[in-house]
Amino acid sequence: MPTILVLDDSATMVMSLSHILKGAGYDVETGMNGREGITKLTDGIKPAVILTDLNMPELDGIGFIKEARKIASTRFTPIIVLTTESGGRKRDEARAAGASGWLTKPAEPNQLLSVVKQLCPTR
Amino acid sequence: MGETAEANERIVCAILAEQVAALRERMDSTATFELLWRTSALLSWLSGLLGDVSAQSAHAASVNASHPNPVLEREREEAITEIAEIRRALDDLAFLQAQRHDFAKQIADCVVIALERMAVAEMPAGTSFSSADLAALYVSADQRKLHDDVIHRLGL
Repeated sequence: MPTILVLDDSATMVMSLSHILKGAGYDVETGMNGREGITKLTDGIKPAVILTDLNMPELDGIGFIKEARKIASTRFTPIIVLTTESGGRKRDEARAAGASGWLTKPAEPNQLLSVVKQLCPTR
Repeated sequence: MGETAEANERIVCAILAEQVAALRERMDSTATFELLWRTSALLSWLSGLLGDVSAQSAHAASVNASHPNPVLEREREEAITEIAEIRRALDDLAFLQAQRHDFAKQIADCVVIALERMAVAEMPAGTSFSSADLAALYVSADQRKLHDDVIHRLGL
């Protein structure tokens, strides 16, 4: 099963995303901030898609994307930003850092799964 | 503003910051979400179980050269459809609620930080906390829009 890496500082959001993605047939790895995400990647996790929040402590979403793009195995991995931010400036910043797509919360589960399935079909 | 009035306002800010922080902690709904997800997982399991039971009874009927009960078969199919619909609705509800809950906590965080900065311990006398300082704490376009609407309404 393909693995999705989910990063969000809200435990409820992490659990909710995990539930939706596992129900759709994905393995899920999680982290509560960008630093934990980078640690997972350097530990050898090879996600097919990464979902990340923007506003997180220690290392935020933009910082995470920049660092993830420096790691050979995730240079081209799709990174979707899932955030309450819908502003153009933040979006441009994320795109410049290397984000592949953007979903604004509140998102529908189908919306989320449709994006993830396009990037990474389960079968 | 006199020094005493300014000091009093900062004390009020400090107290309000603590109160909003306490309120934020009480917003924890993890148990509710866990129950929703467990219910959804249980429904999924029941649906699979109904399918297995039906397959087994069809197999037993073929071995015994009899026919499965058509009424039970129809009811099983209806139950599986209903379970799938309820499960989807529960998943949608849990996901949307989790996002709204997260957003509400982020707004509470923003209020706590703003109040703390306006409070006694954070602000030297004579300094101020401007609306631009507040805007720098926002995490969503909705917050910025609300901010702009208030500024506009107050004619500032």
